[in-house]
Amino acid sequence: MRASHTSWTAKFLAVIRYEILWNIRKKKFLGMLIVAFALTTLSLAGDHIANAFGGPPVKSNPDFAVNSSVGFGGFGFFLFAIATAMNTISAEFESGTIVPLLAKPVSRTTVFFGKLFAAFLTLLATYCFLMIYLTIGGFVVYGPQNDLHLVPLSFLGALFSTLIWISIVLLLGTLSRSSLIAALGALGIWFGTTIIGTILAFLAGQGWILTYIPGSGTPAYAGEPPSLGSGATISTGTDSIGRNLINYILHPAWEVLYYKVNLGATDLGQALVPLYSEPFSNVIFKSIAVAIIYFITFVGISWYVFRRAQVAE
Amino acid sequence: MGAAIETLGLTKRYGSLTAVDKLDLRVEENTIHGFLGPNGAGKTTTIKILAGLLKPDGGKVTVLGQELGWDKPDIRLRIGYMPELPKLPKHLKGTELLDIYGRMCGMTKEERRKQIPELLDMVGLRERGNDLIGTYSKGMQQRIGMAQALLNEPKLVILDEPSLGLDPVGMVDVREMMKGISKEGVTVFLSSHLLHEVQEVCTHVTIINKGVALASGTLKEISAKVSGPVIIEAEVDNISKTVVEKVKELPFVIGVSEDGKKLMVELKTRDDVRSQVSQAITAGGGIVISMNLKGESLEDAFMDLIDKRKEGRS
Repeated sequence: MRASHTSWTAKFLAVIRYEILWNIRKKKFLGMLIVAFALTTLSLAGDHIANAFGGPPVKSNPDFAVNSSVGFGGFGFFLFAIATAMNTISAEFESGTIVPLLAKPVSRTTVFFGKLFAAFLTLLATYCFLMIYLTIGGFVVYGPQNDLHLVPLSFLGALFSTLIWISIVLLLGTLSRSSLIAALGALGIWFGTTIIGTILAFLAGQGWILTYIPGSGTPAYAGEPPSLGSGATISTGTDSIGRNLINYILHPAWEVLYYKVNLGATDLGQALVPLYSEPFSNVIFKSIAVAIIYFITFVGISWYVFRRAQVAE
Repeated sequence: MGAAIETLGLTKRYGSLTAVDKLDLRVEENTIHGFLGPNGAGKTTTIKILAGLLKPDGGKVTVLGQELGWDKPDIRLRIGYMPELPKLPKHLKGTELLDIYGRMCGMTKEERRKQIPELLDMVGLRERGNDLIGTYSKGMQQRIGMAQALLNEPKLVILDEPSLGLDPVGMVDVREMMKGISKEGVTVFLSSHLLHEVQEVCTHVTIINKGVALASGTLKEISAKVSGPVIIEAEVDNISKTVVEKVKELPFVIGVSEDGKKLMVELKTRDDVRSQVSQAITAGGGIVISMNLKGESLEDAFMDLIDKRKEGRS
């Protein structure tokens, strides 16, 4: 008979292996990866395709890698979060595989954080592959690239932004034990913060609320005071951490200007009503702080619920 | 002999429903202990508490001398658990599952390398070990479920309906496995609906209904609790008054009745006295064609105890 105490690390690594094998063999994850790869390829080959159909000739573009690396966007992060985290806890309950897993001599804390870390590693490897592909492809298609040192920053920002969505999906999945509720709930939150939030911000002038919740944040303008339809538009939320960090390095003196849209204005120049402004560094600091607080809070609640979860079914 | 499992006043409620009601259970070490009860009796709930999946609302549970607490994984190093119709991750291959679970159990690489092929052999899955579990039949999933329960050489194995979904050959294999691991000093706690399976492999039995233990002990002790008489039903050629008189003369016989070619002999004893009755029939000039003992099988005991419980409630 064996009754030895095993190292926590060995058990943690076993959970990670269990989860990564699940992740990489999931059809929805593989599908997501193929779509992301196809979109990246399309962005690389787009100009050549246009040229083949009589469009303008392909010009060298030294900013392609940096500009494209931040282009995943909020919905991309959301989809990757769904693909990697939707099944993490809820699907184990739904399929019943949680029963033999939790009957093994591994603490629930180890199982939970092992699964979370596996989702992180899956994401890390996926983004790493896509960014490297994009950068090398940029070189091949558009010639030598500028500011390549900023690409890893964009990579880290994307990772951070996706982790927020992962924590939301995880929380909903742990509370409901339903993958469908986790996916639909997270989609509702994404829709609420991104689309309804944007409308609220522009029309009601209450965009400051979005500063304190995850997502795309308040839409704003940076640099020179804009006229409608011009100026550098930025999103101030957690989905834009990578893009904003790069912009901050390139333009540290930017002031971020918030506006609302006056629908009743007859003159186009008066359509944007200025509200307030703040330094760009503030925007970045707040979005990172919001990301960290929400991630810790959501993961903390999920962990607490999972530790106490009883498996009756 | 110590107790592998001991519960005192174990209680589990789901809202207003009491699934396990102050259950006192004792499973001796190195026994194969059957856990019987009708559907909804509280068997699976009790087993899930023992496996650390459910938290009891009251009572005390001791497993292998250690008091069971919530999310204390160390005790599970010595327990193997096979759930009812085990749902195992379909994305893993049989060998991968055993390897990962083996790592979780703290087995070294050498131990896993040695034990996993042995276990796959034991459950008859050597050829399919490298296939995804998702491609396994129901019976094969049951077999790999059995293999994962036996990883890490547990001291106590809890099996919830291990024969469910198996073909007759698989059922025999499972029984042989249970007997085999019991010989190696492992305690087997078996929940099953198959009374003949329990009667064949178990040394001890607990019968539970509505969350309450109705009887517990060896098979003989359980059948002794049956209130009805033990009857020998004999099919006899040439039944005569002499045959009946000869049988009535036996000291352990209460009464004899005839029904065509059938002779019903009511007994005072629960011992198997078929040979004496047969001799008496032959001595009276009768010819015994067949002979059955009724009222002492586990099935009789089970039905009797469950019926009594129903009567008590009505």
